[in-house]
Amino acid sequence: MKKTVAHAFVCLFIFLLYPGTSPLPAQAADKLPQPVLISSAGQSADVAIAGMLCKKLSLQAKSQPLAKPADLQGIGTLMVVSGFSTKGLGAAGVSKEQEMERVKALLDAAREKKIRVITLHIGGKARRGGQSDDFNRLAAEASERLIVVRTGDEDQFFSSLAAGKKIPIDLVDKISDAMQPLGKIF
Amino acid sequence: MPLFPIHRIRALLLLAAAAAACLYAGKEFRKMNAPDTILPGQGVSRIRALKDYFPNLEGTRSDSAVYFLESGRPGPTVLVLGGTHPNEPAGFLAAVALVESLRVKAGRLIVVPQACQSGFTCTDPLEGYPQSYSLRSRSRLRTFRFGSRAANPVEDWPDPIIYRHFPSGQQLSGNETRNLNRAYPGKSDGTTTEKTAFAIMKLIRDEKVNLAFDLHEAAPEIPIINAIVTHEKGRELAAGALLGLELENLPYALELSPPNFHGLSHREWGDGTPAIPFLLETTNPVQGRLRGRTGASLAVDGQDRQYRLAQESGRMRITYDAGGEPLARRVGRHLRAIQAVLETYNELHPEGRVELEGIPSYEEIIRNGVGSLLQ
Ligand SMILES: [Zn+2]
Repeated sequence: MKKTVAHAFVCLFIFLLYPGTSPLPAQAADKLPQPVLISSAGQSADVAIAGMLCKKLSLQAKSQPLAKPADLQGIGTLMVVSGFSTKGLGAAGVSKEQEMERVKALLDAAREKKIRVITLHIGGKARRGGQSDDFNRLAAEASERLIVVRTGDEDQFFSSLAAGKKIPIDLVDKISDAMQPLGKIF
Repeated sequence: MPLFPIHRIRALLLLAAAAAACLYAGKEFRKMNAPDTILPGQGVSRIRALKDYFPNLEGTRSDSAVYFLESGRPGPTVLVLGGTHPNEPAGFLAAVALVESLRVKAGRLIVVPQACQSGFTCTDPLEGYPQSYSLRSRSRLRTFRFGSRAANPVEDWPDPIIYRHFPSGQQLSGNETRNLNRAYPGKSDGTTTEKTAFAIMKLIRDEKVNLAFDLHEAAPEIPIINAIVTHEKGRELAAGALLGLELENLPYALELSPPNFHGLSHREWGDGTPAIPFLLETTNPVQGRLRGRTGASLAVDGQDRQYRLAQESGRMRITYDAGGEPLARRVGRHLRAIQAVLETYNELHPEGRVELEGIPSYEEIIRNGVGSLLQ
């Protein structure tokens, strides 16, 4: 009897000494932390699609197209969905300049708080060029990883940017294919 | 001097020829007022009219048929509007296809193929639009009218210089007075178009519509094409539908309705009724500024040399396939997109599903043509 109690104590002791309390696999350290804050750079509705992808992957994520630095509280990873939409800006009630300022402030705050940042570009050609590329560049350059639907990279805008800045990039054929790299990194 | 000198005979003959030409032209013109033939399929349980929701429309050019396809089993009520802009035939024909071929197994569908009935009675001046186009259906040659973007100008002649939207006060150019998709929520004592919008809003409320679709087309150079535009309420459903459509190689863009742009279905239906609105866009070369010869074949086959050259040059941002943009593709897209939204709805609401039967797959529609959807 005494022996059993002693054993139990030894086990408890070993358990308490064991580093970490959850038995996570070794590669977990490389994974991006959750919860995920999904925000926009350019107010395209692609944020909603990114939200759907995260939902399908059962990630702990919330969408805030107009997220501010304060919204980063308690966040593990900031997922920026880049692409410009005039309809979206109208829907959000902000100007292009205000949106640019907001995105800059959000990315700066994420860097200060050491929150990991990735960029998703899923809108293809429609979210490239002209007004979109200012947002695409801003978000991509602040990210540690890019996931881009190929039709948005026909001119190698993202892949050459990624090569220049040594940012890993996943090019996928379809939006739904983005689930694969997302599933791997989270 | 003879009673009938040669110059008099010549003059009489010319007068007779002019009278015959006038008579013929007049007859052709009046044909635009003849109703289009829609042949309700076995899925249609009853037919009402917009006047049943707003009696003021009775006997006017704006009254329009409302088809009910009811399963008798519980489920959501879905509204599909075609012909908001009668120069966008894919929206109209997709709605007609539902009336003629669909069977509803759970929930119910309400279809208004000619939402802006008045716009089907004229074409837009200076556009060179065809007056009608024909398709071979499952059993016969069917002819449908090609209308104008907005309601017939005789309704509230003349247009004001500035159109002031009710109730927001938003100002648009005067010809938008007759644009049904700038008129919501409408006004019971307003213009003909405002009355039509009022009747449709009333229908949505009275029939407790859950999901509402407004089918459109746009010129290939318009940036919002092959798109789903929705209200905040429809964000998740549209995102789910878009992923489903993409898996079937039908890419779509998702756009949110700007809250400060008034009069549009995707804004006012969402704000003013419990329904979740979706506006669907396909590409229509007939509406494009770049198009060449504009005939019935362009409306049906969607093949235009100018757009092909523009597409090949790669210098324009247009949505145009080198093989043309035939009606089958555009109608097929509308029908698939509606189903994709409903499939997403079913996933999220397993307790109250809507189930449809009788619509061929997109590939089948492409293979067999739009006519295969019609009786
Ligand atoms: Zn339209």
